[in-house]
Amino acid sequence: MFEPAMFEPAVLPAANRNSVAGINIGSAVGSVSEWLRRITVRVIASGQSHGSGVVWRSKGLIVTNAHVVGSPSSRPQFVRSEIGGGSYEVEFADGRKAQGWLVARDPKIDLAALAVGMHDLQAASIRKARTLRPGELMIAVGNPWDGAGAVSTGIVHHSVGKSSVLTADIRLAPGNSGGPLADAEGAVVGINSMIIDGFGVAVTSEAVERFLKRSRLLEVV
Amino acid sequence: MASSLIEFSKSIADAVEQVGVSVIAVLEGGRDGVSGTIWRDGLAVTAEHTIRGYDEVTIVLPSGEKTKASVIGRDPGSDIALLKIAEKSSAASLADEARSRVGEVVLSVGRRGTEGLATTYGVISAIGGPWRTWQGTRIDRSFRLDLNPFSGFSGGPVVNARGEVLGIALSGPRRSIMTIPSSTVNRVVDQLLKHGRIARGYLGVGIQVVAFPEPMRQTLGLQSERGLLVVTVDPKSSAEKFGLLLGDIIVTVDASPVHSVRSLQPALDSENVGKVINLEIVRGGKLLKLPVTIGERGAA
Repeated sequence: MFEPAMFEPAVLPAANRNSVAGINIGSAVGSVSEWLRRITVRVIASGQSHGSGVVWRSKGLIVTNAHVVGSPSSRPQFVRSEIGGGSYEVEFADGRKAQGWLVARDPKIDLAALAVGMHDLQAASIRKARTLRPGELMIAVGNPWDGAGAVSTGIVHHSVGKSSVLTADIRLAPGNSGGPLADAEGAVVGINSMIIDGFGVAVTSEAVERFLKRSRLLEVV
Repeated sequence: MASSLIEFSKSIADAVEQVGVSVIAVLEGGRDGVSGTIWRDGLAVTAEHTIRGYDEVTIVLPSGEKTKASVIGRDPGSDIALLKIAEKSSAASLADEARSRVGEVVLSVGRRGTEGLATTYGVISAIGGPWRTWQGTRIDRSFRLDLNPFSGFSGGPVVNARGEVLGIALSGPRRSIMTIPSSTVNRVVDQLLKHGRIARGYLGVGIQVVAFPEPMRQTLGLQSERGLLVVTVDPKSSAEKFGLLLGDIIVTVDASPVHSVRSLQPALDSENVGKVINLEIVRGGKLLKLPVTIGERGAA
């Protein structure tokens, strides 16, 4: 249904590389987060609760947390029959709004997929979380409280190994739920889903791909 | 500019990897195991309080191999224990800690059993001078860190962005990381290797702070307002041997005034065991000098 995204490095705003003497980490974080904002959406459920989502494929596939689009206890573990059953407002960084239809949801791994009727979206470039080394820079973008597109930085706490979650030493807020956790190049490695002992916990990009395949939302990966 | 971010990310991950070859896991320590740092060839340090009661511990080497290590020395005062590791090991490289600066990037690195390395990232918030643990041990420098602790970090290194060790990480108050600086760890390791323990100075007196009456200060020409009144004398101690009596008031130690129990502690540092200190005391309304050799605690 959805074409795989081009797995190439994010197209970042052109930097005046030679004009800056020394390293300017601050503005570099700024340009990566600018890119991440373009692939991050706000998911509004029932008019008030806000979460985030990531444009996973350009043809209108949005990935978010299961807990952003419904309370985990009130629904069956895996709901494919709900296609067309739930609808959420999806707001893009450029201000466009669309109706997002819940097409898959798995509370066990805290993932959900929404489909929007748009085909020209800027999609995330994806990197496998298991290729990360402890200490690599992590950047999260989300919509905590009223801070739309809020950015935070941290590092990979430890290698993912066989786990389907990635732990990062990064400060997240509840509105980061469903939003992207990305590397220094802006490549998405996970979907932020929990805060444990002050650490950010994200569902890995591999787990997202498996979830989408299982839900038959991806034919080819 | 984005490339600078990629470089930064790489250098932090490299620093973790570099020191990682010197970080071990100590499985008996704490609730879910703690970390240790290979300090010299064949020797590792870890957090003493987490392995109290063990003569031998199970460690996971950087290679992932599980093996036994014997505990060959302990210093509860600085919370450092010394482990003998049989395998060929690569010792961590130490930072020039005197050159560390506030704002510098630091990492806490630990090993989680066989799962590999774990790390958190932060900065040095403040650097201070020497301080003493509640057991009275002198720590050469204080580092206040803006750095998250995590399960099993104790005993692992705190490193700078080059992967050089600033000190050993221990649990501090209010979910913070306390650092025993490398210079102090070196001193503790040297003494543990030499004596198998850290000698603690012992004078053998119970003391109480007293204020000198103004007329007495004037008569004796005392600079200090307070002194330390001897209220008990351990019969087997150097205080007894060298003639300190109940009722003596200690005014100075090696010419520096003592006005609190803590101010006497530097005289009892381990390097002073066996050395002669010169006390100035008030006895019977007169000022007199009394040389005393510092004994060792527990060596009756």
